[in-house]
Amino acid sequence: MRFMVIVHANKDTEAGVMPSTELLAAMGKFNEEMCNAGVMQAGEGLHPTSKGARIAFTGSEPVVKQGPFDVTSDLIAGFWLIDVASRDEAIAWMKRAPFAAGAEIEIRQVFAAEDFGDALTPELREKEERLRAQAARK
Amino acid sequence: MRFMMLMIPGGYETAAPGTVPEDVERVASMMAYNKALLDAGVLITCDGLHPPSMGARVSFPSGKPVVTDGPFAESKEVLGGYWMIDVASRDEAIAWASRCPATPNEVIEIRQVQEMADYPEDVQAVASGFEEMQTTAKRLG
Repeated sequence: MRFMVIVHANKDTEAGVMPSTELLAAMGKFNEEMCNAGVMQAGEGLHPTSKGARIAFTGSEPVVKQGPFDVTSDLIAGFWLIDVASRDEAIAWMKRAPFAAGAEIEIRQVFAAEDFGDALTPELREKEERLRAQAARK
Repeated sequence: MRFMMLMIPGGYETAAPGTVPEDVERVASMMAYNKALLDAGVLITCDGLHPPSMGARVSFPSGKPVVTDGPFAESKEVLGGYWMIDVASRDEAIAWASRCPATPNEVIEIRQVQEMADYPEDVQAVASGFEEMQTTAKRLG
């Protein structure tokens, strides 16, 4: 099963403070271990919300709000996608992540086609699979 | 440049474990949107996430990991899914997000992905090999 590991933002990530060389080296090693174990599918860092935007759909027209957004524990600074056998395995991997004191990450299971039940009709499912295969070739 | 479109559905922070999209018409309209992203050569990948009530958080208050099971009482805005897209500008990313068949309780947040060239030189030196690692990582999906 696939999990998204969400790295939460804090004042430093929002201010664009780069991690120390030591932390980057440790994170590189951790990523390498996950790659070698066949666990890591992707991992990215995001620019601060000061360079971002939000689009709300409350009225007839979408409303665009420019960043930055208030630093709450809900803001995101980066993510991994990992493929493991269970939620416990995902947690076990992430307990080993070399984060500095104060960091927080969230582990969320990714929907698979079979989770959708009847809403994903066979026709839609086939379309979805074709679309994914096409996107993966990019 | 790559952007993440983060889908933030209002109320998802308290959704029960096992909650899945059940509205066939809505799934179909999202699929049409995904197809439009794909046909324009913009879509890299997209996924939906099970609710936080099925998730966990790992925090490192003193450097040691502490695990908390979901749901997370203090959360107000949680991720329901995302798209990773490749477009020429932030404005183009916003234009694509604006076309999403989203509902009034949903907000899409646009965030630019950090590329190696965005890092200072000394950081690039330590992080060298990351891009290669990404391409050797398992294929998505």
